[in-house]
Amino acid sequence: MNGEKFVTLKVNGKEVTVKEGTLILDAAREAGYEIPTFCYQENLSGVGSCRICFVEIEGQKKLQPSCITPVMADMNVRTDSAQVIAARGAMLEFVLTNHALDCPVCDKGGECELQNMVWKFGPRKGRFTEKKIRFHEKDYILSPVIVKNSNRCVHCMRCVRVCSEVVGKAVLGVIGREAHQEMTSFVRSYLDCDHDGMCIEVCPVGCFMRLPYRYKARHWDLKSAKTVCPYCATGCRMTIQERDGVVVRSIARLGSGFNGRMMCARGRFGYDFLNSKERLKTPLLKVGGVFKEVSWDKALGVIREKFTRADPKKVFGVASARLTNEELYLFQKLVRSVFNSPNLDSTSRWNENASAAFISAAGIPGRGTGIYGAMEADCVFIAGAQISDENPVTDYIVRYTTAAKRNSVIIASSRAMKLDSSSRMSIRHLPGRLGSLLNATALSLYMDYPERLEGTPGIDGIKGKTVEGLGQVSGVEVSDIKSLAGVLRGSASVSILAGVDFLRFREGILGLRLLGAILKTLGKQLEILPLLDRSNQRGAWDMGVHPLFGPGYGEVKEKGLGVDGMLERANEGASDAFYIIGEDILSMYPDRAFAARALSRAGFLVYQDMFMTETAQISDLVLPGASFAEKAGTFTNQEGRVQAAEPLLSPKGEAKTDLEIISAIGSSIAPGFTGADPQRVFEEIRGGLKTYEGIFPGLNDSNGVMVKGSGNTLKEFEEVKEAVSDLGKNTSYPYYLITGNHLFHSGRLSRRSEILRGLLMEPVIEISSILADELGVEDGSRVMVNGRESGAVFSVRVKKGTPKEVVFIPENFEKAPANRFFKRGETVARVNITVHSSF
Amino acid sequence: MLSEKVRGEIRGVLRNYKNLRSACMAALQIIQREAGHITEADMSDVASLLGVNPVQVEEVGAFYTMYNVRKPVGRHHIQVCTNLSCSLLGAGHIVNFIERLLKIKTGGTTQDKRFTLSTVECLGSCATAPMMQVDEDYYENLTEERINEILDGLK
Repeated sequence: MNGEKFVTLKVNGKEVTVKEGTLILDAAREAGYEIPTFCYQENLSGVGSCRICFVEIEGQKKLQPSCITPVMADMNVRTDSAQVIAARGAMLEFVLTNHALDCPVCDKGGECELQNMVWKFGPRKGRFTEKKIRFHEKDYILSPVIVKNSNRCVHCMRCVRVCSEVVGKAVLGVIGREAHQEMTSFVRSYLDCDHDGMCIEVCPVGCFMRLPYRYKARHWDLKSAKTVCPYCATGCRMTIQERDGVVVRSIARLGSGFNGRMMCARGRFGYDFLNSKERLKTPLLKVGGVFKEVSWDKALGVIREKFTRADPKKVFGVASARLTNEELYLFQKLVRSVFNSPNLDSTSRWNENASAAFISAAGIPGRGTGIYGAMEADCVFIAGAQISDENPVTDYIVRYTTAAKRNSVIIASSRAMKLDSSSRMSIRHLPGRLGSLLNATALSLYMDYPERLEGTPGIDGIKGKTVEGLGQVSGVEVSDIKSLAGVLRGSASVSILAGVDFLRFREGILGLRLLGAILKTLGKQLEILPLLDRSNQRGAWDMGVHPLFGPGYGEVKEKGLGVDGMLERANEGASDAFYIIGEDILSMYPDRAFAARALSRAGFLVYQDMFMTETAQISDLVLPGASFAEKAGTFTNQEGRVQAAEPLLSPKGEAKTDLEIISAIGSSIAPGFTGADPQRVFEEIRGGLKTYEGIFPGLNDSNGVMVKGSGNTLKEFEEVKEAVSDLGKNTSYPYYLITGNHLFHSGRLSRRSEILRGLLMEPVIEISSILADELGVEDGSRVMVNGRESGAVFSVRVKKGTPKEVVFIPENFEKAPANRFFKRGETVARVNITVHSSF
Repeated sequence: MLSEKVRGEIRGVLRNYKNLRSACMAALQIIQREAGHITEADMSDVASLLGVNPVQVEEVGAFYTMYNVRKPVGRHHIQVCTNLSCSLLGAGHIVNFIERLLKIKTGGTTQDKRFTLSTVECLGSCATAPMMQVDEDYYENLTEERINEILDGLK
C-alpha cells in the first residue's frame, strides 16, 4: 500500500528492511532466523507472557520479548547471543517447574511444542525442588469433544485469546493469578460453545485435548493425507489421519492451508462418518421391492439397458456439489454426450434460474475472490448469509481481520448471528425481503448521485419507488438504510459477501446486481465473494453441472431442466431414467411431499452415495460411492481457490470412487469414454476451461491456486423470477420459518458422524428471546411446531437479537425434516408454535 | 439469586459505564457488601446483567483477593496485613494474638459466625503499621489492647 514507511535494522548482523511496526520476531523470521515462541500466535493479540522469544537489543540492558516489541530504525538485534540462549533455557526451566511432565500418558507426546523446545534448548536438569501445583487429580471433560488437564498448562493463554478473538465465544477465561491461574470454563463447567476445538489446536501442550482421540494413537503411528474439508465451501485445508484403517482425527496446521489452524466443529470432529458401519459396500438392485446385492457388471448392464432405451429428453442427472471437480466434469460429460440429455443440476434446493442469475450477479465467471483480499476493503457488507452457522471459518476470518483492520462490517440478515458482535451495524430484514432492502439502499445512493447513476442497468426498476416504501416492505427502518448507504458512499472499496439465502429465497439477486453496478459506477473498488454451503458448489458450476450453461460458463446447445423442472416432469410421468449422485433430494428439496410423489414416478432411478439415504431407499438401483477421504482430485472453494486432495483410504468393500463409476457407466454405453484417472481428467479440464488454464494445484500448495477469469459472462437472465412469499398477517400461522444448516451439521452427511450427533442430536428450533419470554420457554424446552400440513416437536434454542416473528429450523434433522414445512414455490413457510406439555 | 435490592443497585451503577463489562468489579462489590461473599449463582446473575459470559465475571472475581468468591465469611471480616512493613512491626504477633483470642486459625470463622480472620498483602498503610482492615474500615497502629477494644465493639 502507499504511504507505508519502512525501517532498516540489523538482525545478527544481517540488514533487513521491513514495514514500520513489524515485530522483531517477524523481522527476524523474515531474515531467516529461528526464534522459539509459546504465547505468540499469528493473528492473536500479543501478550508477551512466556518470555521464550527473548532477544538482545544493543544498547538495552534487559532482553526484550520479540513477539511484542516492534522494530525501530537502526536497531541491532541478536537472536543467538550467549545471554539469549541462557535465558531461553532458564525460561523453559521456569515453565517446567509446574508442568506435570507426564509425557508418557499425554496425548500430545511426540508432537508437543514444549517437548520439542526443551529437547532443543534445554534445560537438561531442573533445579527447583518445590512441590508442583496440582489443579485437580483427574482430567475433566469440558464438552463432548474437549477434555482438559490443567496440570500441563504453560499459561500461554492462546486458548483464551483464540476463543474470544477468533471464535467469538469467549467462554474460556483465566481463573486465578500467577502460577495458580487456570485457563478454563466458568467454574469448570460443561461448555456451551461452538465445540470447534480451536483451543485444542492452539494448545502447545496436552492441556486441551480431543476427547474422541483420547489414548487412540501416537502421531508417528498415523498415516496422513492432505485433503479439503467436505462440509462447506469455505474449503478448509486439512489433514486426515488414520490408524489401522480407522480415521482418528482431522487437523489443520499452520502453513498447510489458507485457514491456518482454523476449523469448525464439523471439520475438526465430523470425520468419523468415514468409519461408519452403515457405509454402502455393494451395488443394490431392487427386485420385487427388496434390495438385492448385485455385481458391478450386473449393475452396469442394467444402467446401459435403461439409459440407452430412454428418451434423452426424459433422462435426468443430479450430482452433489460435494464431488471433486474431476467427477463433476465427467458427470456433465456423461449426461450431455453419452445420455444426450441437457437436463442436469448440482443441487435440488435451488432453482436453476436463480442460481444462474446469482452466479452472474456475484461475478463468479469473472475471477476468483480471496477472503483475505475481500477483508481489505473499507466496508464489508455481508448479505443473505447465515455465515456464523454455514461458513464458520469464514466467520472467524472476518472476526479477527476486522478487529485488526477496524473496517466496517455490516450485516443484513433475518436471523441474529454470532458475527453481529463484530459488526458496525446489523440490519434485520424480513425473510425473503432482502431484495427490497438492497433496492432501497440502491435508491438512496441514486438519490445522492442521480446524474452519475443515470443509465445504470436495472436502475429503471426502482425509479418511482421510495426508500420509505421499500424499507417498509423489507421491515427495515429508513434510518438504517440511510446509514448503510452512507457507509457505502464513504468507502473507497467495498466487499460484498453474498450467501446462499439469495438462492433459498430466490430473491434479492436483482438487488445485488443493481447495487453492484451502482457501486462500480461510483468508482468503488468492488469485490463480491459468494458464501456457499456445499464444499464444491463453485466447482460444480465451474464444471458446468448446470442446465443453463456448460463447463467454464460456456453456452450450451440446448438448455435443460433443473431439479425443479425434472421433478415436475417426473410427476407428470415424463421421466424415463434418473441418475443421482449424492444429492438426497427427498430430504433436501423444499417440498418433501411433492419430491416423494415425483420421485416415485421417476422411471428408473439410479442413486449413488455413501449411505442408504432416504432417496436411496426409494430408488431402483443403489451404487456405493466413495467419500472425499478415498479420492484424489481437486476442489474449488467459494473463493475460487482450487485445492488438491489425496486419498487416505480405499473405498469400502466393493464401493468405487464416483469417478470410476461415472467412467464405467460412460464406457459401458459409449466405449472409449474418458477413463477414471483424475489427473487425465483434470488435464482435460485445464485444456478446455479458460478458468483452469495453467492451473496445477499441488498437495503442498498452502494457498491452493486461484481460478482465472472464464472470459464468459453469463447472459443476463431475464427470466429470473424472484419468488416473493406472502408475508401478510396470518393469525393461525404467525411465524416465518426459515431454514439453513446448523453450526454442527451440513446437509445430512454430518448426521452420519457419531461425534457431531453427540454435539446435537435432537431437532432444534431457534426462536427469538422475545418469543421465548412470551411463550414462557427457555433453552431445552420442548415446543410443538405446526405448519399447514405437518407438525413436529422441537427443542428450543433461544437467540437474542432475532425478530420475534422469525424462527429457524435447521434442514439437517431426519426426525423432523424442515422441508416438510415448505410448499413448492414458497420460500418462507408459515408455522405456529405451542408449548409442548406431554413431558 | 440476587435480591431485588442488589439487582437494583447494580442496575444503578451500570449507567456509569459505557462498556457494561467494565461494571463487573462494582457489581461484585455490591454483592459482597450485602452478603459478605460471592457465590457461583451470583456470578452467573452478574454476567446476564452485564451481557457477558459468566467466565468473564469469574475471571475478575478470582483475580482480586478482596472478593470472597465461594468463601462465606462471618459478619465481620478481619484482614490483617502481613506485608513487609507490617511484618517488621509485628504483624505475625498480631495474627497469633487474634487466632488465640477468637480460637480460630487464619482463614477460619468463629462458631457464632461473628468473625472471619484472613491475612492479606499490602493495604497501603505502611506508615501506620501494623494494621488491619475489618469490613470496610482500616484500624492502624495495632496493639493487643487496641484489638481487644476494636473487636469488642463489633457485634
